[in-house]
Amino acid sequence: MRAGGGGIVVRFTLNGREVEVTTRPNATLLDLLRNELKILSVRRGCETGECGMCTVLVDGLPVRSCLMLAPQVDGRSVTTVEGVGDPERLHPVQEAFVEAGAVQCGFCTPAMVLTAKALLDRDPNPDERTVREAILGVLCRCTGYAKIVRAVRLAAERVAGGVRE
Amino acid sequence: MSSSSVLEEIRRAEEFLVVGKGVWRIDALDKVTGRARFTSDFVLKDALHVRLVKSPIPHGRIIEIDAERALGLGPVRVFTAADIPGENQVGYALPDQPLLPADKVRYVGEPVALVAAPDEDLAEKAAELVEVRYEELPAVFDPLEAMERSDVLVHEDRGTNIAEMTRVRKGNVERGFEESDVVVENTYRTGHQEHAPLETEGAVAIPDTQGGVTVIASIQYPHLCQRITARVLGLPHSMVRVIQPYVGGGFGGKDDMGPVVSAMAALVAFKTGKPAVLVYSRRDSFTSTCKRDPSVVRYKTGATRDGRLKAIEVQIILDSGAYANRGPYVLWRATMHAGGPYEVPNAKVDGFLVYTNKVFEGSFRGFGNPQVQFAAESQLDELAERLGMDPLEIRLKNLLRPGSRTITDQLLESSVGIYEAVKLLGEKTGFRAKWREYRRERAGRVRRGIGIACGYHGISTSRGVPDWSNATVILGRDGSVTVETGICEIGQGSWTAHAQIAAEVLGVPVERVKVVGGTSDAPDTGATHASRGSSIGGIGVYVAAKRLRERLAEAAARLLECDPSDVEIREGRAFRRDSPDDYVEWEELVQAAYSMGYEMSATGYFFLPKGKFDMERGLGYAYPAFSYIANVAEVEVDLETGKVRVVRVWPALAAGRILNPVLVEGQIEGAIAQGMGYALTEELKFEDGRMLNPNFTDYLIPTSLDVPEVEAPIYVEDLYEYGPFGAKGVGEMALIPTPAAIMNAVKNATGVRITEIPATPEKVYFHLKEAGVVAGE
Amino acid sequence: MLPEFEYHRPASLEEAVRLLSELGPDAKVIAGGTDLVVKMRAGLVSPRHVVDLSRLTEIRFIRDGGDRLKIGAGTTLWEIENSEDVARGVPVLREAVEEMASWHVKTTATIGGNLCNASPAADTAPPLMVHDATLVVVGPEGRREVPIGEFFTGPGQTVLGVGEILVEVVVPKMRQGQGAAFEKLTVREGALSIASAAALVEISGGRFVDARVALGAVAPTPIRALKVERALKGRPATREVLRSASREAKADIKPITDVRGSREYREEMSVVLVRRALERAVERAGGVWA
Repeated sequence: MRAGGGGIVVRFTLNGREVEVTTRPNATLLDLLRNELKILSVRRGCETGECGMCTVLVDGLPVRSCLMLAPQVDGRSVTTVEGVGDPERLHPVQEAFVEAGAVQCGFCTPAMVLTAKALLDRDPNPDERTVREAILGVLCRCTGYAKIVRAVRLAAERVAGGVRE
Repeated sequence: MSSSSVLEEIRRAEEFLVVGKGVWRIDALDKVTGRARFTSDFVLKDALHVRLVKSPIPHGRIIEIDAERALGLGPVRVFTAADIPGENQVGYALPDQPLLPADKVRYVGEPVALVAAPDEDLAEKAAELVEVRYEELPAVFDPLEAMERSDVLVHEDRGTNIAEMTRVRKGNVERGFEESDVVVENTYRTGHQEHAPLETEGAVAIPDTQGGVTVIASIQYPHLCQRITARVLGLPHSMVRVIQPYVGGGFGGKDDMGPVVSAMAALVAFKTGKPAVLVYSRRDSFTSTCKRDPSVVRYKTGATRDGRLKAIEVQIILDSGAYANRGPYVLWRATMHAGGPYEVPNAKVDGFLVYTNKVFEGSFRGFGNPQVQFAAESQLDELAERLGMDPLEIRLKNLLRPGSRTITDQLLESSVGIYEAVKLLGEKTGFRAKWREYRRERAGRVRRGIGIACGYHGISTSRGVPDWSNATVILGRDGSVTVETGICEIGQGSWTAHAQIAAEVLGVPVERVKVVGGTSDAPDTGATHASRGSSIGGIGVYVAAKRLRERLAEAAARLLECDPSDVEIREGRAFRRDSPDDYVEWEELVQAAYSMGYEMSATGYFFLPKGKFDMERGLGYAYPAFSYIANVAEVEVDLETGKVRVVRVWPALAAGRILNPVLVEGQIEGAIAQGMGYALTEELKFEDGRMLNPNFTDYLIPTSLDVPEVEAPIYVEDLYEYGPFGAKGVGEMALIPTPAAIMNAVKNATGVRITEIPATPEKVYFHLKEAGVVAGE
Repeated sequence: MLPEFEYHRPASLEEAVRLLSELGPDAKVIAGGTDLVVKMRAGLVSPRHVVDLSRLTEIRFIRDGGDRLKIGAGTTLWEIENSEDVARGVPVLREAVEEMASWHVKTTATIGGNLCNASPAADTAPPLMVHDATLVVVGPEGRREVPIGEFFTGPGQTVLGVGEILVEVVVPKMRQGQGAAFEKLTVREGALSIASAAALVEISGGRFVDARVALGAVAPTPIRALKVERALKGRPATREVLRSASREAKADIKPITDVRGSREYREEMSVVLVRRALERAVERAGGVWA
């Protein structure tokens, strides 16, 4: 396939729903999600792939949406925090973030929640080091990460222990 | 309200239902679900996107701004100083800073023009095409050099590059040093620190139908943004509304930058009649926002053989960059805190704030204090070393206690918990034993060390400058509670603390309380800075809630047929103290109070009593209260690479009542991480005034793998008589002693004193090599 | 804002080669985008065409080839980090990848991208160099093999010609008696290397039968430390030999001063990293210090 300045049609799954959208080839996935699809939980933090605020899951793995071209997401499955849980049905990771006090300014929170979810989906019982390694790519300037790490492990205990209600 | 009665009540109270508990944040649900909206999320239809045209040179006259090529791109507008309808002035302490310079630029990155276009890409392209012709002027970058020069002036009209001088003269320093058995003298240097909030600075401005403008911005003080924006536009304050959405981190920077970005966006909206969106890129956020002032601190300390401090002589030089901004206040704070939380009978402190042709400096968590505490606390360890004492012992000998006087000769009558905090911390950490062991061992290529450092921090404004608290509390007919405050929620959790205060006083579950804050529609509550958001900010909430509580007690007394003094209201029920089963539900009570004609809204205002301050001698009443902190840090130093790893930190805090331990822990853990970055890795590099690393690739803030384990804090609740439930400030505290605690631990590990931060691996390595600890390769 | 370009997503390697040959030097290849998008945004490159190779399953594999491991250039660093074959056959590559960047970057960044970006600090290069890896390149003229030591020609530059694509990395596996290790120095976790070093040794009868050392971020390209190697080969595996050989690293490198570190610091750290890598490599080789 090829596409020039005009536009390119991209079809992908966004939070479980099929999406078809026309985008510029030089738009990033971040541009596409924020500007076209108004998914505002995906945030612009540095646009050089360093801060992690624009994290989304592509086929279940965390990526920097500011470094992925929009056309590259064609045919793939994208999850943002909107697809993880909502106020009525929080994901255990989200519950744990609330309870452990892992939220301060909240700007990095969606990226942290998504990363934690991706981690727990493949490793339900990570040790502290594993959690810290997983969130290495998401900077947080408020919390010093302590309560975020605690929240991820709390969520893991709950999921593993089957105590989710 | 009489203040003594408040204190009485707090002291009498044995338990609280909401205050002091780890209540969940009231904004947590919005944030974990991603529904929280930040400034850049408010992109309205037809909005213009605004980009900065920035100076590529450090110093030069603006000859011409040619926008022709930019305008030729399409629907583009370009705004310069000439377009400002009001006063082109955003200086804080001094009127030295234009919103957009008309005559000359003073640092690389200074915005000289604003470009607006209907889409971001067009605005960006157009900004690149605005041609500014400059006549380059010689520039000055080193504050020590700038102080001495009058041929190169950053601000010609001032005749000098020294923007401000401060002083403290207490006792007789010469005699103090004569009476000293040991005198230690060193020079300490600290670097820039970038706030690096993950959300960059930004503002959205929307013109209204009456010729005014509404600003939604990432800020720390809505009323200041309102005043500055109104000044720039030439409007009455009432024509400018300012509202904060959620703010993605502030740390002081958005206190200073909020008014600037608000005024810029408002200018475009005002001139075009269209909504304007200005969001700084990460690069803008590095090159064109204020930083923590770099410092050079020359410090001389004298003590007697038994370890009592006799005298200090300190010279503080702060590099202010191109504008004074908050610098004079930062310098005053540094000056007045120069002694550390110790009794020092004789003190001579001189402060200089110096202009250079670099990005301007400003508010940053700690506000001048981390720079001087790094020096003061390093000095104390050096003194202990000379005296053959351990670092804990020398501190315990000199720490402030109730009845002590600070170096400004301010008498501290009460609420001075630092001695107890340090004593408990020493015991908990086993400091002495570890310190001796590591000092004795010193073998192998990775060395372990432990260090302690203390800090204190005046809460509220300094030197008798008026400070106040103000809030409104409104009860809805359905029993819901609204708190209106000017205090901003920037992540610290003040709104949650305010909800707790209102809930506790009114006797309702915290879930019933909604906080509307950070808006110029609320009472002016002062800035969310100086660790005053929850503490000073909370007083107004307390007072207003108290008024309503009294009215509700009267209404309940009528329903329950008793005296108001017999009414208890708790957990959403009002009852007679002697028969709790006979109660009125909260909603019913509020409705009844409305029917009986009680006013169900109240404002709470409190003007903080302050004393006098003599600016000439730098003596007198510096702050209404001080919070205190001590950190113990344990480090590992890789001698072969110079890399320092902070393994563990134990904090101890004396900040009055802990309103919410989870929030307070969050502040402490975050401040320690930020302080560690400041001490070890965060370094802005410049070449001829140009920043070499304006990005997260090479300006390195700590990650999840860098931060130390932070132990549960020790709290000494040294209640403050005017604080809500006795609370003092917390937000800035744990950052202040962190650099010194780490460097004292490095000294313990290696025997080498590092006097310069950030102590990057390279710097530490060459220090160790110079000291002969490593041979080099 | 990214420059305007045409986006191409070839369905096969063959199509990709043809496309790149047609488009010429105005075309850039994208895989994970972790280097190209950053460079485009910084205005360092403004290609008129971007050719997306991220869907070419033909170059995304890890295959056991007996005494060699074959890694498709389109394999992500995350896949390499999690590969049992890599862990067994080229553990030093896994070690380097583990310490690189973040999970978020490694899920899209590819080994081919890391090599073709040709940063002097590319962390996958030193391990592959001590393994004497061969790079397989496909282009309009067909297929050719390039020893990794000849692949890099300067910062950001390789021997790849117009239309050529790096498709595969062939890595001889570790043998019995060999040991390898990777070391790097950063100011902070996840940051770019100030310097890095990989070492591979083979010890027999208490002597270095073979010794290969490579360094990153201390020369215009990742380089082999031939003087260090010469000072080791055939000599007894003693700490003293190792220590003095490591010092030869200074003569092998040409570091510069930049925002990450000074030339002097890089010189001294090269010695430290080489020594540390060698020490661990010797231990892993089951070497008993003579």
